[in-house]
Amino acid sequence: MVGVHKYFRRGSERIDVLNGLNLEVTEGEYFGLMGPSGSGKTTLLNLIAGLDRPSEGEVWIGGNCISRMSESQLARWRTRNVGFVFQFYHLLPVLSAFENVELPLLLLPMTGAERRQQVENALELVGLQDRMRHRPGQLSGGQQQRVGIARAIVTDPTLVVADEPTGDLDAKSAEEILDLLEELRTGLEKTIIIVTHDPRAARRCDRVLRLDKGRVADGSILLEEHG
Amino acid sequence: MKFFFLILKNLRRNLLRSTLTVLGTIALVVVVTLVWSILAFLDEVTAEKKSNLKAIVSERWQFPSQMPFAYADTLTEGAAREETDVRPLDNMTWQFIGATLDPKNAAHSERVFAFAMDPNKLRTMMDDLDHLPADQAAELDKAIAAMNENRQGAIFGKEWLAILNKRVGDRFTLYGRNYRGIDLEIEVVGTFPPGGRYDKTIVIHRDYLNNAIDGWPRDHGGQKHPLAEKRLNLVWLKVPDTAAYTRMANQIQSSPFYATPSVKCETSSSGIASFLDAYRDMIWGMRWLLAPACLVSLSLVISNAISISVRERRQELAVMKVLGFRPIQILVLVLGESLLLGVGAGFASAALTWYGINELLGGLKFPIAFFPSFLISRDALWWGPLVGGLAALLGSFLPAWNACQVKVSEVFAKVA
Repeated sequence: MVGVHKYFRRGSERIDVLNGLNLEVTEGEYFGLMGPSGSGKTTLLNLIAGLDRPSEGEVWIGGNCISRMSESQLARWRTRNVGFVFQFYHLLPVLSAFENVELPLLLLPMTGAERRQQVENALELVGLQDRMRHRPGQLSGGQQQRVGIARAIVTDPTLVVADEPTGDLDAKSAEEILDLLEELRTGLEKTIIIVTHDPRAARRCDRVLRLDKGRVADGSILLEEHG
Repeated sequence: MKFFFLILKNLRRNLLRSTLTVLGTIALVVVVTLVWSILAFLDEVTAEKKSNLKAIVSERWQFPSQMPFAYADTLTEGAAREETDVRPLDNMTWQFIGATLDPKNAAHSERVFAFAMDPNKLRTMMDDLDHLPADQAAELDKAIAAMNENRQGAIFGKEWLAILNKRVGDRFTLYGRNYRGIDLEIEVVGTFPPGGRYDKTIVIHRDYLNNAIDGWPRDHGGQKHPLAEKRLNLVWLKVPDTAAYTRMANQIQSSPFYATPSVKCETSSSGIASFLDAYRDMIWGMRWLLAPACLVSLSLVISNAISISVRERRQELAVMKVLGFRPIQILVLVLGESLLLGVGAGFASAALTWYGINELLGGLKFPIAFFPSFLISRDALWWGPLVGGLAALLGSFLPAWNACQVKVSEVFAKVA
């Protein structure tokens, strides 16, 4: 990420959210983003995941400058390269766990049998192979987040971004989700970027970047011991 | 096809709303189907044919037309005088009879309107009676044979029989209202095929009427019946093509035999069109106000339902975008929902209307001119889905466009 600025306009007023940010995350890294509300964490995550474009600067991921891609190119790129885990899970309530996880695969050239196999693998990985036909409303918060994680990894992306994935969970479920994310990193060698307020989540990161008012805060980037 | 299950699932999301939208669509497509069936029928009967067309000869300056029966002999030959003149392929004379079953109490239910004609022409000249299913054709042929045997025989439409509470085999008297003093003892010898345009038709033998009129002077001091020279109302002539029609019309209209009263010759379609002129405003309103108003209402009903659905699902649509769905795919999904809803409801509506009107009610009772009722065209089975689908596409385009324009970052910024 090179010289990234992001600002919004409200009438004639310019609101700066990110101010000239430079950042490099290496492949396979477990990277944390922390900071107070309004510091620009989620905006930064959106830029990394290709959900938004910087006002200035460039975002490079795996040799691709995603900040120059059109919306359709970005959508295709996201399908194959990024898995997104949300704080509030954002599962489609009318679909079963299986169908929710299958959703991103519908965009790829795969047969029904291939999709089924991949979805079952992903759900097995998160320990929900016996809940495939359940709707989100029939699952606990922790289970819903597991389905969300299965959906994020089902396309085998290189990058998984998680926006406060434990923010809506009790302590026990949060620990389980953090364990699962760590397994993804170690077992599947995914690059994980996580936005969090939770010190327990931050402690698991290789590095944590603290943001304040769109800038890297003093003392950042912190290197922490894994675990 | 992969997205089809998504479309179905979304329609099932709020079953009450989907059901109400389907019911609204069905109701409006019913109205459009009814209106278009009537208009399609009227368009068909007023469309000029290129071949095998019918010419109608009637009195030029008076409505209803009343010509001397003496005209019939030459008119049925197309007023041909030379060997080279065009002659019609077939012909038919029409005499209109207004009558009552009870001369002292001419209540509405006792009044009847009948045609006196040559029964042998029924199957060759009357629309739709020339290509009946075998069983109906046999039944009608039997009734025609009975009329030829018994000049007092009459064929009734089923609706008339029901109104008059009569059955085949019943004998009763028709007391003339236009032919005052002419009382006709008739016997019902058969019925027209049910569910068609002849449900309110009565045909008696023209010879019976003409003999009664010709015999009038015997009982009235040698005086002719007042309508004796005005008893021929129409002559139908069948010609092979428009060229033959043009020549024959010229033969008739230039003939000195038909000077008092003078006659005119027109195609059946233009004759019907002239007759329908009295209904011009109503038909215009049906075509250009009622049907379009229904289509606009239909679009608005669907637009409203889809708009609410899209508004409720903004976050879900944003999630789909995050997962890699492109704007065009979101657009197709939303349009697909409304299209499926519109086409499904449109087909159900058209099929129900077709079955209900044609099979259960025996036609739509909406008397215009001399058409007492209308059948729903089989084409409605594709109009319905087409109307429903097009209205759905039009109505849902704006909500679908809004759906595909959802900005992921804005939606999640509000959540966080």
